[in-house]
Amino acid sequence: MTNWRSGVIPTWCPGCEDFIIYAGLQNTLAKLNMDQDKTVIVYDIGCIGNMADFVKAWGIHSLHGRSVPTGVGIKLANPELNVIVIGGDGGVYGEGLSHLIAAARLNIDITVIVANNQLYSLTTGQSSPTTPKGSKTKSTPKGVESVPVVPLELIKAVNPEALAQHVSCLEPLKVAEAMEKAIKHQGFDLLDLDQLCVSFGKQLR
Amino acid sequence: MEKVITVKIAGPAGTGIKSAGLLLAQVLNESGYYLKDYSEYPSLVRGGHNTYQVSFSVNEVYCVHKMVDIFVSLAKNHWQEHEKEFTKNTLVFADSDGKTDIPLREMCGQLGGSIYTNTITLGLISYLLDLNKELAKSILKKHFGDDSININAFEAGYLWGENNCQKIATDKGGNKEKKIILDGNEAVGWGLYKADLDMFVAYPMTPATGLLHFLAKNQDEFKLKVIHPEDEIAVASIASGASMAGARAAVGTSGGGFALMTETISLDAMAGLGVVYYLSQRPGPATGMPTWTAQGDLLFAVHSGHGEFPKIVLAPGDWNEAYEFGKLSLNLANKFDIPVILLSDKNLSESSTNIKDFTSDKAEIVASNKVIPGKRDKIKLYNSYEHDEEGFSIEGAEESKKMADLRLKKSKEILKEMPKVNLFGNDKAKKLIVSWGSTKGAILETLREMKNREDFAFLQIRGMWPIDPKVSQIINAFSEKILVENNATGQLEALLKSQMTVEFTKRILKYDGRPFFPEELKEALND
Ligand SMILES: Cc1ncc(C[n+]2csc(CCOP(=O)(O)OP(=O)(O)O)c2C)c(N)n1
Ligand code: SF4
Ligand SMILES: [Mg+2]
Repeated sequence: MTNWRSGVIPTWCPGCEDFIIYAGLQNTLAKLNMDQDKTVIVYDIGCIGNMADFVKAWGIHSLHGRSVPTGVGIKLANPELNVIVIGGDGGVYGEGLSHLIAAARLNIDITVIVANNQLYSLTTGQSSPTTPKGSKTKSTPKGVESVPVVPLELIKAVNPEALAQHVSCLEPLKVAEAMEKAIKHQGFDLLDLDQLCVSFGKQLR
Repeated sequence: MEKVITVKIAGPAGTGIKSAGLLLAQVLNESGYYLKDYSEYPSLVRGGHNTYQVSFSVNEVYCVHKMVDIFVSLAKNHWQEHEKEFTKNTLVFADSDGKTDIPLREMCGQLGGSIYTNTITLGLISYLLDLNKELAKSILKKHFGDDSININAFEAGYLWGENNCQKIATDKGGNKEKKIILDGNEAVGWGLYKADLDMFVAYPMTPATGLLHFLAKNQDEFKLKVIHPEDEIAVASIASGASMAGARAAVGTSGGGFALMTETISLDAMAGLGVVYYLSQRPGPATGMPTWTAQGDLLFAVHSGHGEFPKIVLAPGDWNEAYEFGKLSLNLANKFDIPVILLSDKNLSESSTNIKDFTSDKAEIVASNKVIPGKRDKIKLYNSYEHDEEGFSIEGAEESKKMADLRLKKSKEILKEMPKVNLFGNDKAKKLIVSWGSTKGAILETLREMKNREDFAFLQIRGMWPIDPKVSQIINAFSEKILVENNATGQLEALLKSQMTVEFTKRILKYDGRPFFPEELKEALND
């Protein structure tokens, strides 16, 4: 069986649900018997993006917010490649939101997986575009003033043909199932995963 | 010496000035003349004040002249702005506007529409320049179709000329080699295409938009993908992703869009991805003057991107170099897997010339050695973090320094591949003009026209970064050194001084959105 682990030991905090996403991806890639030479994973910058070092696959650890257009470029350059984009809510729904919308509108055949912990975690816990209104974070000690982005509704609004799923990491089997469905889907798909950041986000769940 | 003749057409946007101008250029080209053209237009789609001017001669002419021999205004109140460009011999035509009165609107009325002023003008000009009428008509027919009223409009203009004017003396004969007409944007496009471009990504921004249009129009024939995404950040990211997947990729923009791409320049350098950034300058800061020219982004290009890393900046000075550097930029980006900036400006990008037909030439293609997915290469992670040779992130002192050194070491090899400087004129002269980019045309034309041309040499710097420190030896061999730049602060001087010891004795800087014209440069040089 193809080995999808690089051998680098993950550096996430003990108990971080990024491990569930990592395990789910490993299982799904193996189960689908993906061609390792034709699978490219694009990672955003953030805790979840650090998965780049832990996976054995073609990859590009791109810039914060730019994982989606980087993935679009790879897919456009070689449509035979399976392109999976992995990022956080900060990168994909904040810094790079316009890219997400554009990719969904284009209905390009890439899979975008978001570890949505409602926080900027790698930068130690500031509010993100999905942090609930009123939440106190390091950058919003008086509470978040904006209403949060609702990713599934957003994707459906711009392209009803796109596949948009939401699953909680509390249900690891469903995470893997949703990943399988997403990767198999032809056209654009988003998998929004409710992910707990044990270090900075306990108050949010 | 054979005379250079300059014709200028002016009028509001939307009256077809540019298309009439380009048709005139075609007739001149097929009549065996060398030509250069130049357009001015405000950032408007209708109205305003547009001009098209073309200078031509039986010998090579390097740029348009400011002083015109024939001036035609398609509407009222346009020639007045140009009085400084008239000599006592200039023929000035305008419709009921105090100059030689050509009843353009009345003639249009007889033809059955108001949109023929430009073609009538073309007829008049063809008569005045004694151009072959049948040749002109065949070019018009190719453009408009056989039965177009435009053919009658041309005839009407020509006839009006016959009845009311005298032809002006022009040199005949000239060059019989087949030439094509193109602007700087198209020359770059041909170069990129010849060097096997796979993907071009751009967001429209004057004066680089012409390259997007040219490649988009020809994408099937050129077998390339042309993508216009949501913004310039996506442009650069898509091109970098494409490069990672093995495509030969380029992007196009002007200063404002380039500003948004600088994070990706840095990514390319770190991850080892070759991408060409075509940056056509216009005056800034900010939105600046979109449709005018400047050389204000040299230092920005050289210093673009955070961190310390090698990149290449090339500055073509004319159309042939735009074509050659189009090829070179893509080859170097792939040879060294780094970002390459191809620096042009409005003056080159949107002005046209006729040039030896290179469209069937074959180009050398230098491929990237990097591993890519789908080819059974050894799997790699391309990484924006500092990384080891397999791509895994590292932070150790020794190993990170080693990787930084590995990147920076490329500069030495790059320098060997950079285009060399051009030294024109009398290399034993006392005075040396030093410049870069599209000022080349005006400088060469000035020297060609100057009686005391033997007093000058001209050094054109073409490889802006990395820059060869030996350039100072050439410069310092002359006793007077004159800097010529289309910017306010003398950015080339600052760049040279950051790398070598040079002193300039005189600076000729222009930063009003207009290019240098030979008449004014001659005066400034002799001042
Ligand atoms: C352009 C840019 N801005 C800011 C940062 C700093 N930064 C790194 S990760 C991050 C936020 C990450 O949040 P998210 O995308 O939700 O990922 P998480 O860490 O929560 O998994 C930020 C702001 C950066 N690397 N680049
Ligand atoms: S900071 Fe939060 S998201 Fe990041 S690894 Fe730790 S627990 Fe996970
Ligand atoms: Mg997050």
